[in-house]
Amino acid sequence: MNQLPLLLTGIAVAVALAGAVVALVLPERRAPALLLVASCIAATLALVAGGAVLLGGASGDRLLWSFPVLGPIAVGTTPLGALFACVAAFVYIPTSIYSLRYLDRYRHEYSLRAFSSWYCVLLAAIIAIFICRDIVSFFIVWEVVAIASAALVAYEWRRERNVRAAFIMLAMSEAGTIAAMAAMLLARAGSGSLLFGVPAGGLSAVAAWTIFMLSFFGFGVKAGLLPVNSWLPRAHPVAPGNVSALLSGVILNLGVYGIVLVNVELVPVRFAGEGIVVLAIGAASALIGILYATIEDDLKVMLAYSSVENLGIAVTALGVAFVFTAAHQSVFAALGFAAGIYHVANHSAYKGLLFLGAATLDARLGGRSMNRLGGLIRILPATTAFFFVGVLAIAAIPPLNGFVSEWLTFQALLRAVELSPLGLRIVFALCGAILALTAALAVTCFVKAFGMTFLGKARTPLPRVGEAPSTMRLGMALLALECIGLGVLPTYVLPVIGRAAADFFGSGTIVTALIPQFFRPAAPPNPLPPDFVATFHALGAQIGMGLPGRGWVAMLRGGSANPVVFAMSTTYLTFIIIALLGVTYGVVALVTRRRAIDRSRVWAGGLRSLLPEMTYTATGFSNPVRVIFNAIFNPTEVENDRETIYEHFRSAIRRRREDVFSADRVLAEPVAQAVRRFASFLARMHHGRLPAYVGYALGTLVVALAIVIWM
Amino acid sequence: MLSDVLNVLRSIWPSIEWRVDDGSIVAVLPREDLRAVAKYFSAQRWRLGTIVATEGRHELELRYCFYATAHPGWAQLIIALNPVDRTIASLTPVTIAADWFEREIEDLFSVRFAQHPRLGDFVLHDDQWAENAGLMRPFVQSGEDLPVQRREWRPKRVLEEEGAFVMPVGPVYSGGAESALFLLETVGEDVVRATPRLFYKYRAIEKIAQGRTAADALLLAERCAGTSAIGNGLAYCRAVERALGATLTRRSEALRGFFAELERLRHHMTSIREICESTSLSVAASQALWLEEQFLRISGELCGHRYLFGVLAIGGLQRDFADPALEACLRKADALRPKVDALRGALERSSSFLDRIERVGIVDREAAQTFELVGPFARAAAISADMRAVQPYAPYSGLEFNVPIEEEGDGYARLRVLFAEMEESVRIMAALCRDLPADGTRIDAAMRAGRGLGWSEAPRGASLAWVELEADGTVSRYRLTPPSFRNWHGFHVATESFAFQDFPIVLATLDLSVAENDR
Amino acid sequence: MSWFWRGLRAGVLTEGPAPEALPESLSPGLPRATEFSTPAQAAEIAARCPTGALEAQDRVVGVQPDRCVDCMRCKSAQEWRHDVRWAHPDAVERFGSRFKHSIHVRIIDAGDCGSCLNELAQLTGPSYNLHRFGIFITPTPRQADVLLVVGPVTRQMAGPLKVAYEAMPSPKRVLAVGACAASGGIFGPSVMSAGGAADAVPVDLTVPGCPPPPLAIIGALRALCGQEPPA
Ligand code: SF4
Ligand code: SF4
Repeated sequence: MNQLPLLLTGIAVAVALAGAVVALVLPERRAPALLLVASCIAATLALVAGGAVLLGGASGDRLLWSFPVLGPIAVGTTPLGALFACVAAFVYIPTSIYSLRYLDRYRHEYSLRAFSSWYCVLLAAIIAIFICRDIVSFFIVWEVVAIASAALVAYEWRRERNVRAAFIMLAMSEAGTIAAMAAMLLARAGSGSLLFGVPAGGLSAVAAWTIFMLSFFGFGVKAGLLPVNSWLPRAHPVAPGNVSALLSGVILNLGVYGIVLVNVELVPVRFAGEGIVVLAIGAASALIGILYATIEDDLKVMLAYSSVENLGIAVTALGVAFVFTAAHQSVFAALGFAAGIYHVANHSAYKGLLFLGAATLDARLGGRSMNRLGGLIRILPATTAFFFVGVLAIAAIPPLNGFVSEWLTFQALLRAVELSPLGLRIVFALCGAILALTAALAVTCFVKAFGMTFLGKARTPLPRVGEAPSTMRLGMALLALECIGLGVLPTYVLPVIGRAAADFFGSGTIVTALIPQFFRPAAPPNPLPPDFVATFHALGAQIGMGLPGRGWVAMLRGGSANPVVFAMSTTYLTFIIIALLGVTYGVVALVTRRRAIDRSRVWAGGLRSLLPEMTYTATGFSNPVRVIFNAIFNPTEVENDRETIYEHFRSAIRRRREDVFSADRVLAEPVAQAVRRFASFLARMHHGRLPAYVGYALGTLVVALAIVIWM
Repeated sequence: MLSDVLNVLRSIWPSIEWRVDDGSIVAVLPREDLRAVAKYFSAQRWRLGTIVATEGRHELELRYCFYATAHPGWAQLIIALNPVDRTIASLTPVTIAADWFEREIEDLFSVRFAQHPRLGDFVLHDDQWAENAGLMRPFVQSGEDLPVQRREWRPKRVLEEEGAFVMPVGPVYSGGAESALFLLETVGEDVVRATPRLFYKYRAIEKIAQGRTAADALLLAERCAGTSAIGNGLAYCRAVERALGATLTRRSEALRGFFAELERLRHHMTSIREICESTSLSVAASQALWLEEQFLRISGELCGHRYLFGVLAIGGLQRDFADPALEACLRKADALRPKVDALRGALERSSSFLDRIERVGIVDREAAQTFELVGPFARAAAISADMRAVQPYAPYSGLEFNVPIEEEGDGYARLRVLFAEMEESVRIMAALCRDLPADGTRIDAAMRAGRGLGWSEAPRGASLAWVELEADGTVSRYRLTPPSFRNWHGFHVATESFAFQDFPIVLATLDLSVAENDR
Repeated sequence: MSWFWRGLRAGVLTEGPAPEALPESLSPGLPRATEFSTPAQAAEIAARCPTGALEAQDRVVGVQPDRCVDCMRCKSAQEWRHDVRWAHPDAVERFGSRFKHSIHVRIIDAGDCGSCLNELAQLTGPSYNLHRFGIFITPTPRQADVLLVVGPVTRQMAGPLKVAYEAMPSPKRVLAVGACAASGGIFGPSVMSAGGAADAVPVDLTVPGCPPPPLAIIGALRALCGQEPPA
């Protein structure tokens, strides 16, 4: 029994908690440094522990206590938890480094001690939640996460908007928690134990569906899925920049973790229908998320909507996994699972990076509206470079990481041919089409985000500032490196995910399915059929034998129904890109070696120079999308005034429109209204007459008794 | 008639001395009465022809010229301004058509128009010259005398919406377009409003003309807009002849009419060609180009110049043209008619073409009325405004002809007006050719000091000229009001809300000349 | 589709190579130096000219074609030429042989009256078909080899003209078309125009005329790219 990883994780939690306590007593200006040290140590420990579990196979260890009131409390490391913990640590470390100087902007205005303390509490809870192996501790820690993140969102508490956003976030999170808890309790009802490790007893179909729907709704809130994600676009713009990075890079993942935990480990999916629900919600979230992201001009709100999109993609991949699980095709299920988890990890890396980038702009220039920014490449070159990496990654441009997981997702969707029911195939095809549209819109969205913000010229006069401090740059650089690493070396990442998947889909499935060593002649461990290998050898694949890193190709061999081979290698592509760029540069340099280069101003139709108000705005760039998808945005025209002087001099045309987030429109607003009505109904009940109260009490008693008897 | 109007005016403003002089009601008004009188004229459907500012050594005078639309007759309201104070209440709140005249005078004479909503950056651009540079004032002798001021110029923005921006087109744009800057206000996709910034090509013809002989200034009038040399030249000649009190021979009047119609024919062909080009209908554009070239050749063959330069002269025509040559010209023009008709028919059957010009750049009757638009532009919006009919002059006074009118005010209506006018022009040419008098083509008008108002219907609409001559025949003031200046004023009406890709089409159908406006 | 057939039915409308003597329908011609019988007569003829294009020296009236604005006042007396080789170089520097087959031209209207531009518009029409010589009009100076200036260069257009010239990649040439661009024509030098394109940008070749007929402009463009010698 190797207890070391669990021990390390425990120490990590302790360090983080200690940091939280010490932060409160340290002098104000030392708080950021403490935050940095404590959270880096804790996160590194968690990372080491997680790594040990994933690479060393040191999992399955359990440590149990039993508390008289709460029942058994179990902690333990699992590969799945370790994977999520590692992803969290990978975001937490750079963010903490970044925070050191970023927090300067709040000095004298808000308490840095409070911030550091909550920050460490959140870290402790996040590390802890992945080792909780029973319902009680899981939800206690879950609540800590919810409260700590809400506290961080409301950090600038003097602004009413922030506090409201935090409350909405907390309220929705609570609703989700209750649903998720109910689902978990139901799931455990069969086994009679609150521990995760005990297998669930046989559940009726109705119970299984109830558990699924409740948990999916409950964890969907955290994961920011439609239609329960109204909190997301509200919380992000008001949260401090580094907190936004954590919200998107870590907190959202918890929702996915929850979904996976319930549907893969606790109550494995039995019905294709469950998978379809997940698939549909995922695809819808992806499309709606990216649509709103595309038309949004506030950088952070845009990134928030883009998180909805990315989590939607990840969940779509999970949906594929669930459908295949239900169809007992564990290889493809594993493929979907790997795609989903990979995408979550990728999203954490690039969204963390992009949020830090946005925070840098906010901190340096005091604004995030793309309609005001522009031309920042000249004043913030390093930030621009990092942001560019993030943009390439999120727009799924190879060889960066977004490409890899989206490729896997599409491969998983294309496996629809292996499913026999026609209905399922149609759903897969539809989701594939939606995801393709989403991918195209994502490119538009981020071309706009990058182009409008960093290229061209400033749309309003910007303060003359220099580059961000080095620690901030380091934070971004680490995340950028992660994006590159996750993108260029997928064949090293996939086995790790494979380890996490091994418990559920059989060990080695992902590696066998995706990283065949087909360069090698049919050596014994090669699972590929000899004739298949021979075909590739006929195509000259053995040439690759001499190349380093034989596994640097991800390849998906079709099943029996559709023996098509899809393969890609971002690794080799990287070398090719570098070589091509080098050759191009060389040729250009050679050809123009003796040429004088004319440099002249941008041609602006004979104008001396373009004025700032003559540059394309972000709104203008995305207006076509707005027009095409008008039915979805369904905007309300708030203002359309035409002012004239002397009846004929047009002096002003004032127009304003508001796009209400569709999730708000279909769910949040009606619910809020119902609550308001209910509240006023309650108020009417309290009119102070004694018999009425007696009546209420009796009624409650009767209802309670009825429930007890029925159970 | 004019005498009735005079009686009414005398009864309303008995203190003002009203008189009639050479077909015009003339009166010197006190500054305070101007708005009321102008309002009266506007209410009687008189149109503001032009405002002439003249500055001598010690006096500054504004002359508001109105013309009646119901019967022949003009009115000239004269205001003497204090050359030091240089302030007067703007007429724009009452007569919107005065807007651009006042802006021009503000730039060129440094006159301040109180309550004018938008002055500055008009003729003289703000980023180059100081405001109130007063180019036309006597002390400015050369460009170096102008006060220079490098200021940053910012476009005036009207659209206030999140993400709104100004898309500049020009001043150098497209293949061979005239230089002008268009500021398109948009939030992407649809343009909400387009504002032209003109006068890049401002050559200061009015300034150059001062001190030249009447004959030399005619060259300027012709070359103000080379594509309507006769139109603008004729207005000038008629003004000078009025000033000299000369009476022309009937033959020269008829020939002038003949050339004016020949020019209209060719000019309208050009406009039609531009409309075809703007819709990227290349076959139609090529055929229109070829037809246009044929009209150019006909003109060149008849008088030695493809654009009819050097045809007009003070007192008639520069030389006589033989009747057979004129008839040959008419025959050739007539022979092209079936080709023009075929083009018209093909265009009208081409639904993709109609889709692009129908319901674009709409200017309704009311707007055409308010902005006092002229020419085919106005006629497509059901306003006749044809000087040949409204203020008839020889040879049209004795002629029967139609003024084509359309109702819709859109691009297609304007195209139909152009085609219809071409047909009418050939008919007028034929009528003029039928019985040409033989009383000579030129009189020798003796030079003398004088002032006169002349007008003509140039291809793009009413062209007005005001000329003041010295005793030796040099021009001391030449004020020209070309039709494009009037019609550009209505440009923004036609361009409120349109799809960006329709911009060239709107522009082409409006048939506006930058050169003519910029002078 | 019907347009396609209409186009085909129209056939070829382009006329062949320019005849040596152009009829007046194609070109007004240019006055040329003429000898008169008496100096007094010569002086009288020269005095007719409003722009000083005619200069009497003894019995000969010489012509500065750049200044002629086609006022036609001397037409009855002076001899006129009717060829197409109107262009004359200001500085003989043509493109190298590499541009012989194709050049791109950016037209800049620096205050023209509309006629010069209209003649330029005719160039691409079926009657003259400039493209057959490999000469194309381009909307952006970035792709242009030749800057074709019309108009007297008003003070408010001098800036954009210079900006356009700077925006062109070298090697680049400037062609001044029309009396206005050549000398300011009837307008310049005056308050608002400095008098011709040469004031703002280095002019390589000038085509006089008010406006120069299309064939003369084609001749100048061909001369500029070395397809034929200038006059
Ligand atoms: S035609 Fe030319 S040369 Fe002859 S007088 Fe006129 S401007 Fe002078
Ligand atoms: S040269 Fe003559 S035709 Fe050409 S722009 Fe000048 S005035 Fe017009």
